[in-house]
Amino acid sequence: MSKEINRLHPVSAIITSLKALKSMILPIAIIIISNGFNFSLNFHSEHFWQTILLFGVWGGAALLALIGGIIKWRTFVYWFEDGELRVKYGLFVKKKRYIPFERIQSLNYNEGIFHRIFGLVKVQVETAGNKGGKPEVELTAIRKAAADAIELEMRRAKNEDAQQQLEQESTQVIKEETVSTPMIYHMAIKDLLVLATTSGGIGVVLSGLAAVISQFSDIIPYEAVFHELTDFVKVGVFLIALTVMFILIAAWVVSVVITLINYYDYTVRIEEEKLIITKGLLEKKRITLPLNRIQAIRIVENPLRQLTGFATVVVESAGGNGENGNDKKITLFPLIKRQACLQTLEQLFPEMNWHPAFVRSPKRARPFFYRVDFIWLVPVIGACSYFLYPYGLLSLLLIPLTILLGVWQHKTAGYQIDGKQLAMQYRVFSRTTLIMEKKRIQSIESTQSYFQKRKNVMSIKATVMSGMSGTTGTVPSLEQQDAETIFSWYEH
Amino acid sequence: MRAQPIHQISRKGLTVWRLYGVIQTLALLVVAGLASYGTYYFEWPSFIYWIAAAIVVLGILLLVLIFPKIRWERWRYEVREHEIEVQHGLFVVKRTLIPMVRVQHVDTTQGPILKKYDLGNISISTAATVHTIPALVMDEADRLRARISELARVAEDDV
Repeated sequence: MSKEINRLHPVSAIITSLKALKSMILPIAIIIISNGFNFSLNFHSEHFWQTILLFGVWGGAALLALIGGIIKWRTFVYWFEDGELRVKYGLFVKKKRYIPFERIQSLNYNEGIFHRIFGLVKVQVETAGNKGGKPEVELTAIRKAAADAIELEMRRAKNEDAQQQLEQESTQVIKEETVSTPMIYHMAIKDLLVLATTSGGIGVVLSGLAAVISQFSDIIPYEAVFHELTDFVKVGVFLIALTVMFILIAAWVVSVVITLINYYDYTVRIEEEKLIITKGLLEKKRITLPLNRIQAIRIVENPLRQLTGFATVVVESAGGNGENGNDKKITLFPLIKRQACLQTLEQLFPEMNWHPAFVRSPKRARPFFYRVDFIWLVPVIGACSYFLYPYGLLSLLLIPLTILLGVWQHKTAGYQIDGKQLAMQYRVFSRTTLIMEKKRIQSIESTQSYFQKRKNVMSIKATVMSGMSGTTGTVPSLEQQDAETIFSWYEH
Repeated sequence: MRAQPIHQISRKGLTVWRLYGVIQTLALLVVAGLASYGTYYFEWPSFIYWIAAAIVVLGILLLVLIFPKIRWERWRYEVREHEIEVQHGLFVVKRTLIPMVRVQHVDTTQGPILKKYDLGNISISTAATVHTIPALVMDEADRLRARISELARVAEDDV
């Protein structure tokens, strides 16, 4: 076993300090903007000390970040010993961390732009017991060959383990075939475009835009703007509408581009009971997901995609890193034809039933899906109609819309029990189908309000583990008999 | 129709909940008092007195008298060999089923008020959820904790 000490690539010093600097940009930008760009290096100017102070602090922080990055790079070492990955780092407080290879759940690779220039990769080592969504060990930047070496070492350690077991049992012979990893899903450019154009990323961009604007609020001379706004109104509502349209379209284009970059070349492969997801154009990501950590599978169809027969498949996984670090919902197929997705899932999990026949919510339960909404609808409509008299009456349209949505939700609510598997289907807007095995369900809860009791209906919630906390599926207002069937199914 | 879980929580639990209600009402009383003082001092419209009084009366009625009673009557639990079943709720009755195999650990906690009445809460944690049975007699809570951890150890895990 090699006891060679490995270091991070020097570029990691830059990457670490850049990361630290990045988190300082926003506060500094705010300070600069709120100062109204009143900076001066002229000693006699009243802004002189202010400027010196600001740039001094900023420069000091940058210097510290750089030194920190260099220290991390100089002190961080890792090596392989006794079937463990061992890591040591720290300047004053030395930290050592030993991770047995068989405990490693996954190695996730991430290549940012800097990494790609130098042919490097960021490796995140994950075990089952990750704390707070942080990977156990993060190697900021190492050569790809070094990353492969870790993987090789890990595989060798695991094989040795397996061989020892074999010798003990000395009965079976497992053929270790190095099969080329079969690809189970690759997103075509066409699908990618559909994904990008129909994704909800637009909301994110809009809220980002709002945040930016609110940052500028100090320097926008509101009185002037509002004065102009009245002129604006005189010119015509048309122009405003046009501006809003333009902003919306721009936001949408940005979101499309972001999605395109993030999901470019999205591929799912299966290798030794592990799913490997790779994606990204500028920043390449590789996520590993052991099959046995999967707790439940969620098929989400938003109304638009449901109409066109597309779905998104999300995997709830215990531990491990999601896309955003602490989010453990891993998107397996961002966009896939429903039929194709069912076939693929059938191949992946042959023991599960992917064509459940749902037992639906009874007809008398229908009012429960929209009646509650009247609690907030009535005051809102009342207020709108009263204060915005003629046009406020349009808010009355909310009533039929709410009822229609309720009816739709009612039609979607259903469950099915098949052997060891529970399937739930429900919708808020998007239709969600949640399929899980009995042994993965952490607890089941029924809820029944006074009114539901009178009508003999009951809602059911099932919770599975997902990352550090759980995720819950809820089917509202099922027949009480059915809800109790689920309870007794879960009991035995 | 499923039978309710058999055990109720301690009668003293109701007293403690009423006490909590009294504390919450006292907080309301402070707010109401401030509002009344403001009304007197700044000559705000006099209906504020009535609202303040109504809030305090409602607080006594609901938080001290009615809600604790309903909650206490609703609260049921049962620890069986293979699962724990819990029922609670105020307007909405919630029933939860936790299999023994899913139980990861059991805690008992006791605050100052509960200690005075020799009561304790017991929290049952699974990998994803935490379920609390409140206001058990401390002996019962300790016994239950021991029993659950015993049963949970016996139950075979197949995750």
